[in-house]
Order: sequence, then structure tokens, then C-alpha cells
Amino acid sequence: MDDALSPDEKKNFDLHIRSCASCREELEETRALRRLIASARRFPAPSGFATRVLANLDEKKGSRVLGLFGFRPLFLRAAQVAFALVVMTVGITSGNRLLAERTDHIGQTAVKETFSLDLFQATPPDSIGGIYNTLMESRNER
Amino acid sequence: MTFADDSDLIKRFINGDLSGFENLVRKYQDRVYNLCRYMIRDPQDAQDAAQDTFLKAYKALKDFRPDSSLYTWIYRIAVNTCLDYRRKSHREALRNEPLAEDLPSDKPFPDQLYESGEITEAIQLAIQKLPEKLRAAIVLRELEELSYEEIAEVLHTSAGTVKSRISRAREQLRHILKKNVG
Repeated sequence: MDDALSPDEKKNFDLHIRSCASCREELEETRALRRLIASARRFPAPSGFATRVLANLDEKKGSRVLGLFGFRPLFLRAAQVAFALVVMTVGITSGNRLLAERTDHIGQTAVKETFSLDLFQATPPDSIGGIYNTLMESRNER
Repeated sequence: MTFADDSDLIKRFINGDLSGFENLVRKYQDRVYNLCRYMIRDPQDAQDAAQDTFLKAYKALKDFRPDSSLYTWIYRIAVNTCLDYRRKSHREALRNEPLAEDLPSDKPFPDQLYESGEITEAIQLAIQKLPEKLRAAIVLRELEELSYEEIAEVLHTSAGTVKSRISRAREQLRHILKKNVG
């Protein structure tokens, strides 16, 4: 059937088929099955299939570039964490230095004014709230 | 449409020319999609499986060793992808009725009973009822027209095993078709 038999095997097979009704029937049915499958439709890829495959590739490549937390080998992930720690340390250290310089330059009072709640004024005199308070006070005095 | 030789397409791809891969997709898309339609049947699932096949091929192509032919390599990815899709599908249980119920029938074989669309439908349905290994072998043989040796390469098995699987698949298909539509 699939040309899978040698000439000798084929000769023996043909002899057997002639004398065996059930094998003959099976052979005929198998041939009919093959004809049936041969007449079934072959499905071509839908239009635009290749374009969609390539677009999917681009998407995956894009997400790989942007995806900081996507799949990475362990050493790359470790490098990412180390880099983040270095950036944070440099930020904190330089922030502290700037603060120290500012303290030396302007003095403790300025820092206190900046950070202390004791010196906090809810309505400084030149704010709208301050002007409103001044007006109310002068009205009350009158 | 004519396509370049497979080895040329691979070389172009490895050298960073994406058009090598694009040509490869265009060259094999019909064969891969047809295989998926008979392995899975549902058009959307088949299309997804065919796309996944090429995405997997893209990732693995750099490691492809030309000790096997490119198209049997792609067919192997496609067959495995389709089997994965079917395993994941909840519909698998409904489609995979036990073959014990498909007892041999005395009805005549329905070889001249259909219009083309009905034949396709009946064949697709019958193939879904085959066990995985028989399904892949018969689709590659009868619908993709691969030789026993090529199928053995795709399925990583011997040509003797392929012959046996195809023979069993034909027998089961005959019974299923006679029972369902004869």
C-alpha cells in the first residue's frame, strides 16, 4: 500500500489476498479510507498569518527590553539589585553631605527653621491667611 | 512563490537578517497550519498552535543542527505544540471518548457518501478520537504525505514503529468512520 514491501513480500501478499476474503475486504476498506482522506480539504494558513507571527516576535522582543523583572539569569538579577543598592547609597550619602554643608554655612537656626515644627507658622504675615488675621485684629481693636 | 534553500534561510537568520526567518515562515506556514487543523480541529486553537510553533522555532533556530532536515524539525515542534494545546484544553475530555465504545461495525465503509466539506469534517472528527501517538503518525502520513523515514525523524522513533502506528491508526479510523457515518 505504501510501497513498503519488497518484491518478494509483495508477491506473497498478493497470493494471500487472492485466497483470503477478510484480508481482501480489509485492504479494500483501507484503500477507500486513503481515498477519503486524500479528498479531504487541505487548509492553507489564514491570510496575514506570517505578518502576525512577525508582529508577535516584535512584541516579545520589545517586552524583553522593557521588562526589568522578566526572566533573567540569576547573575543578571544579582547585578540589577547591586546596582540599585549602589544608587541608593550614593543618594543617601550625598544627601547627608549636602545637609552638613548647609548646616555649616547657614547655621543651626536655619536648619531648625526648615525642619522644626516649633518654629512653624501656619499663617505667615505675608500670606493670605496672615493678611486676613491682621485685618480681623485691626477690626477687633476698632 | 519560490523560496530560498533552507540552509540559506538559516544562515541569513543567524547573521541577523530577519528576512531569513520571515521567508521560512512563509515557506512552511501552510503545511504547519494544515497539520494543526487536523491535530486540533478548532480553527482558533489551530492558528494559535501554528503561531506558537514558529515562535518556538525562532527561539531555537540558532541551535538548530543540520543533522536533520529543517522541515522535519519544524514538524516536530508543531506536533509537540499541538499535543500540548490538546492536553491543556478542557475539551479534551469530551473529544477523547474511549475507543472501547467504537466497536467494529458491520456497516459498509462510507467511501462515496460525502460532499467535500462533509468528508473533511468527518475525517477531522475521527482523527480527534485517535490516541496521541497514532494521531500524529496518521496526519503526517496521509495529510502531509511524509515518508515513514521522515515521520520517524519527526516523532523521534523508528520506521518500524511508525509503520505499526499508521497501520493501527488506519484500522481505528475505519471503525470510527463506519460507526459514526456509515
